[in-house]
Amino acid sequence: MVQDLSTISATIDGESHVIESGDTLLKFVDRHRGRGHVPTLCDAPQLAPYGACRVCSVEVALQPDGPRRVVAACHTPLAAGMHIFTESAKVQKLRRNIVELVLTDHPLDCLTCEVNGNCELQTVAAKVGIRGVRYPAGANHLDRAKDQSHPYMTSDLSKCINCSRCVRACDEIQGQFVLSMHGRGFNARIIKGLDTSFEKSPCVSCGACAQACPTSAISDVFQSKSIEASRKTRTVCTYCGVGCNLNVATKGNEILSIQAPLDSEVNHAHTCLKGRYAFKFVKHRDRLRSPLVRVNGRLQPATWEEAYAHIVENLTRIKADHGGHAVAGISSARCTNEENYLMQKFIRVGFGTNNIDACARVCHSPTAWGMQKAFGTGAATNSVEDLQYTNCIMVIGANPTEGHPVTGSKIKQRALKGVPLIIIDPREIELVPFATHHLQLRPGTNVALLDMLAYYIWEAGLTDQEFITKRCENWAEFEAGLKSLDLDALERIHGVPREKVKAAAIEYASAENAMAFHGLGVTEHSHGSKTVMTIANLAMMTGNIGRPGVGVNPLRGQNNVQGAADMGCQPHQGAGYLQVNDPSNHLLYEQFYGAHISNEIGLKIPQMYEAALAGHLKAMWIVGEDVVQTDPNTEHVKAAISSLEFLVVQELFMTPTAEYADVVLPASSFLEKSGTFTNGERRVQRVNAVIAPLAGTKPDGQILCEIMQRMGLSQPDYTPEGVLAEIARIVPFFKGATWDGLTEQGTQWPIQEGGIGTEILHIDAFKRGLGKFHFFPFQESKEIEKHHQEFPFILTTGRILEHYNCGTMTRRTGNAQIVTEDLLAIHPQDAAMKNIEDQDQVRIFSARGEVRMKARLSTEVQPGILYTTFHFPENLVNVVTSSECDEDTLCPEYKVVAVDIEKVHAPDATTIPALTH
Amino acid sequence: MSIHYKPGKEPHPREHRLIFKNIDRADWDNGIDCYLRDGGYAMLQKAIGMEKAAITGEVKASGLRGRGGAGFPTGVKWGFISPTNTKPVYLICNADESEPGTFKDRYILHQDPHQLIEGMAIAALAVGAKVAYIYIREEFPHAATICEKAIEEARQRGFLGKNILGKEGFDLEIFVHRGAGAYICGEETGLIESLEGKRPYPRIKPPYFPAALGLYMCPTIVNNVESLCHVVHILRMGGAEYAKLGKPNNTGTRILCVSGDVQKPGYYEIQVGHLTMGEVINDLCGGLKPGRTLKAIIPGGSSSKILKAGETYKIKRGAEVVEMGLEELPMDFDTMAAAGTMAGSGGVIIMDDSRDIAWVLNNLNTFYAHESCGQCTPCREGSLWMKKISDRIVAGQASPEDVTTLESVAYQIDGKTICAFGEACSWPTEAIISKFRDELTSHTRPELADTPKNPVTEKAMASL
Ligand SMILES: Cc1cc2nc3c(=O)[nH]c(=O)nc-3n(C[C@H](O)[C@H](O)[C@H](O)COP(=O)(O)O)c2cc1C
Ligand code: SF4
Ligand code: SF4
Ligand code: SF4
Ligand code: SF4
Ligand code: FES
Repeated sequence: MVQDLSTISATIDGESHVIESGDTLLKFVDRHRGRGHVPTLCDAPQLAPYGACRVCSVEVALQPDGPRRVVAACHTPLAAGMHIFTESAKVQKLRRNIVELVLTDHPLDCLTCEVNGNCELQTVAAKVGIRGVRYPAGANHLDRAKDQSHPYMTSDLSKCINCSRCVRACDEIQGQFVLSMHGRGFNARIIKGLDTSFEKSPCVSCGACAQACPTSAISDVFQSKSIEASRKTRTVCTYCGVGCNLNVATKGNEILSIQAPLDSEVNHAHTCLKGRYAFKFVKHRDRLRSPLVRVNGRLQPATWEEAYAHIVENLTRIKADHGGHAVAGISSARCTNEENYLMQKFIRVGFGTNNIDACARVCHSPTAWGMQKAFGTGAATNSVEDLQYTNCIMVIGANPTEGHPVTGSKIKQRALKGVPLIIIDPREIELVPFATHHLQLRPGTNVALLDMLAYYIWEAGLTDQEFITKRCENWAEFEAGLKSLDLDALERIHGVPREKVKAAAIEYASAENAMAFHGLGVTEHSHGSKTVMTIANLAMMTGNIGRPGVGVNPLRGQNNVQGAADMGCQPHQGAGYLQVNDPSNHLLYEQFYGAHISNEIGLKIPQMYEAALAGHLKAMWIVGEDVVQTDPNTEHVKAAISSLEFLVVQELFMTPTAEYADVVLPASSFLEKSGTFTNGERRVQRVNAVIAPLAGTKPDGQILCEIMQRMGLSQPDYTPEGVLAEIARIVPFFKGATWDGLTEQGTQWPIQEGGIGTEILHIDAFKRGLGKFHFFPFQESKEIEKHHQEFPFILTTGRILEHYNCGTMTRRTGNAQIVTEDLLAIHPQDAAMKNIEDQDQVRIFSARGEVRMKARLSTEVQPGILYTTFHFPENLVNVVTSSECDEDTLCPEYKVVAVDIEKVHAPDATTIPALTH
Repeated sequence: MSIHYKPGKEPHPREHRLIFKNIDRADWDNGIDCYLRDGGYAMLQKAIGMEKAAITGEVKASGLRGRGGAGFPTGVKWGFISPTNTKPVYLICNADESEPGTFKDRYILHQDPHQLIEGMAIAALAVGAKVAYIYIREEFPHAATICEKAIEEARQRGFLGKNILGKEGFDLEIFVHRGAGAYICGEETGLIESLEGKRPYPRIKPPYFPAALGLYMCPTIVNNVESLCHVVHILRMGGAEYAKLGKPNNTGTRILCVSGDVQKPGYYEIQVGHLTMGEVINDLCGGLKPGRTLKAIIPGGSSSKILKAGETYKIKRGAEVVEMGLEELPMDFDTMAAAGTMAGSGGVIIMDDSRDIAWVLNNLNTFYAHESCGQCTPCREGSLWMKKISDRIVAGQASPEDVTTLESVAYQIDGKTICAFGEACSWPTEAIISKFRDELTSHTRPELADTPKNPVTEKAMASL
């Protein structure tokens, strides 16, 4: 039977088209006539319909010749059988009149305006055919002052058309609520904060408002809406595991500005300030522009060939004298998959050793380990997009609004929409005011708290028995463990009242779909891996696995931590997580590479330092990682690397680590190279070179290929497609990955043949077959056991939005003007006890050493707890951190350090001046 | 029981007082004892014995139409709450009374707050609201205090709070929320935003119809003070009996707020449609000022279209259509609509021949330009331009074509905005121009026709 078309279609100017559910008149017309056919001013695809400018007015009738009504297309829902008239004389006149009204209060210096040619007002005015303005001169707002207070954000509100897109972007996308409309009617105007400047307002410079503004009324210093650019290249941000897509505008070999693509599945027209604005480091004068070779104790410029020759000579000698196991490599989670793959190949094939590790060691190695133990796959089970489908969000030991800003703002948006949010963190992080539950535990007691959560879920009978019996194992043992818990003791240990824990447990377990996220506050502990498994327990016992809106989702720190581990930059597993000491894998690798490969598990990073100090390890190759600053117990690291015979460092800048190198190779940044990054939701995304490598530098992948060739390995020249194809042949879950097949949106692994990705893992069965419960009773950290008496405060560390890691890149951008130093957060009660006032210089000392920084009095921490960031080398906060590690993975315990503090009376004269911008 | 009023404040014999029964009573104060002495809260007691649907049924049967301006049937509105709804339901009393020419709600708030509270409690019971708000305009600080005190008294006596009057599960708390002095806060969705602590930007409809997605995105009923008070009397009389007051489809009584050029301006509660405009002026209000003739009437608050003396209107009376002059028009919803205007909020503004219509127009334009919330482009820019142009007409600085421009601005607002403020601000201009074009034009100077336009906008055109 032929379906009556009128029940599924509507007409546009007489032509019939099939409607889709959720269509507004505008979406429908946009789809069939193209965006712009109906002019719009206040509508933006990334924002909810608003209906204020009315230039999208169309006429609608229920019969072709029936009475017509004028409606705003952008917010009027479409119904089958509607007849839409987009060009009637009536609506054309109306649109013209509206635009005419707008133009009566607009400067109209279009030709000199930064957005000339890309201004929505200009386009709409041309489209509606303004011929003249009938209004005489009158009061206007053309004399409004510009705001140039901020390193990035600018405004010139004389060009404002009061469409509120900026306000809505700040509210609906970022969730910062910085902008608002002040006054009414003709006096209505955009204000920042309580009517101040961008700089003084609580703006976090995400740039969402600038991107949303249809004119140049709000913009940025890079004039990202201008049409200056000759090219736009889509690539992926290098600053965190969210993996935001960026549209980079260039002219010649200059980067002009960055915007967020509207259609990106990862970031939907959003970024944080790092992705959007922190790119000026690329051409910073501090960039290394030539290889450096140590001659007579000093690093001297050299040619690439000289540097390579020096490396080949030394590594060949060391390998010959001491064997391949005397060499170790540290790869970088900032580098591409291809580069990480090549790096592990170089070490494994070139030296016959598994001494290869990556900075994942110091962040998410416990996640990979713990989740593999529980589920079989060491990666996020779900996608960030699933926030749309979840009914409860639990964030454990993570501070997403600072560490993973775009995901953080998505979580905030969901919480604002009423999705219950549980925060388990020792600090009152930015999300806490939006949360339903905040379990503010003592640092280092995650296991105690999560065990208690599990207990209350079990006690309330909220377990999913069917899921447990059918899909999991070891339940009985786990249940016995829960029964054996001493709740009084646990409560004393973690310090959170048990009713609060119980309420959160019930919230999580009774939600239809509950989604857990965790960060470094889980992993960087002596029981990091165990904590990850404990989170997995919670998900399994409540059946929160294998469908949209659930799962265990690590918030990966650096942009490609996932990829570095996937590619085999781990001493126990090669590319694709195959255990190196398993005979069949070993055979596979040897056959694949046609070379001798070691079947012994190699050294983890902390073990490398030990081996170096013990004299077993002679040479190291470090790619893009400033271990001196970022690894714990700085003095220990320095001693280790200075005891090496030979150290090669690949870097963008001269870092404290590079100072110790024998050869420094200048690498290209992410904007200068191509390859792939894998974000925290397993999405393999293409990184595209935006500009040519800075003169004198080479992409890390090219460097690795060239050195392998010179070391006599058969390695073709570097191409991202070529290396990806090789990866696809050895990494099982990359099987279907091809450069073209990844498309603009990227593909989530496992990638099957044909390029088909996987959004959700463990749908019908776990990777390891049955999901495994593990019960762990709480154990006190050795750091606390050993030092708490003498050093009664617990220092915990984290990061802030504005800076990335030790700030090598971000401190060479405008971000440095926004946040200039690390500060120590201290509870006012403790401060009073120690006679410390806000902004006082304090000395923080531990069993290892001491640092100085300014105090910031804050109730975000509880008494007894101190908190700081580690972005500024001036402070070298890792001088005080311990060498305690996660027992399973040796991931360092950054989050719990026993310290004491005191006020410093004379200001510290030795403070190193901040880097220049 | 006979009621005594304060001397000089006695109701006019043609009034029919229900909700203003206690206003200006001699032996009356706004305390609960007074209200109870007179049988107060008996209707709440009665409602408690009724099914929810039966209460709404009585209100539907009464034919009560909202007294806030739009005249929407109250019972029908209550019926919009979806029977399958599981979210909390909110009831809001709109006490923002700011329509120029309207001054009725304030007397209830000041003198008879318990009548409102009783009406709200009955309404809350009917729609299933456990939380209700009185959104009161900023300029009534004293009324806000009075309402708060009254709410406290009602709580003390068990008319509010938990398990009201012993009825298990009937809980209600009423909160007074004070506005901050904006006309737009009276528009129900702007009011809701304001109550949520935001800028009172009216919401787009669809999708934000209050009965579905109102306060905190929950179903919400917004009713005017006077509308809610009528509910008490509907329960007392029964819906059918109440419907016998007034006229079919225009039932009950309503308060007219008469201002302007009459001998005795003030408030008068009449049966809807029982008095003509002429009777209102001549009987209730003692006629025009000596020696004056009627020029025009704004019949339902400043937003309603003006009616001009000497006009005739075709009004349906049963099956036949009769032609009537202005003074013959009965004061009811349907007649006003048929005359091309609206009964609106009951604010009747009488103007005699001493009034300069350009000044009237400018006065209205000034008000609306000041009150536009600024969200929609046509309203924000247009309301200001209407003011600016009428400023020049009054000042004798306008050309005749400016009148045409003014008219076209109005037509570009009306029906093309997010909220009904668009109509509220443009209808008066549209009507005044169409009815008084000659008088307005007489203020203009043809020789100004060719004066140069805005140089800025000229430049604009050049660069586009
Ligand atoms: C601009 C504007 C202002 C309004 N102001 C008021 C007001 O002050 N009081 C009021 O009761 N209704 C006012 N309304 C009407 C309300 O939106 C709403 O229709 C009314 O409160 C519903 O109550 P009712 O059905 O009992 O009349 C206003 C409407 C508009 C468009
Ligand atoms: S940059 Fe981001 S945080 Fe700042 S005002 Fe704009 S949208 Fe808000
Ligand atoms: S600043 Fe831009 S986005 Fe904001 S209201 Fe003005 S024109 Fe619209
Ligand atoms: S740092 Fe993270 S959140 Fe910010 S733009 Fe880059 S990927 Fe996105
Ligand atoms: S019509 Fe006027 S008052 Fe109403 S929302 Fe639009 S701008 Fe505001
Ligand atoms: S685009 Fe629809 S009202 Fe502005």
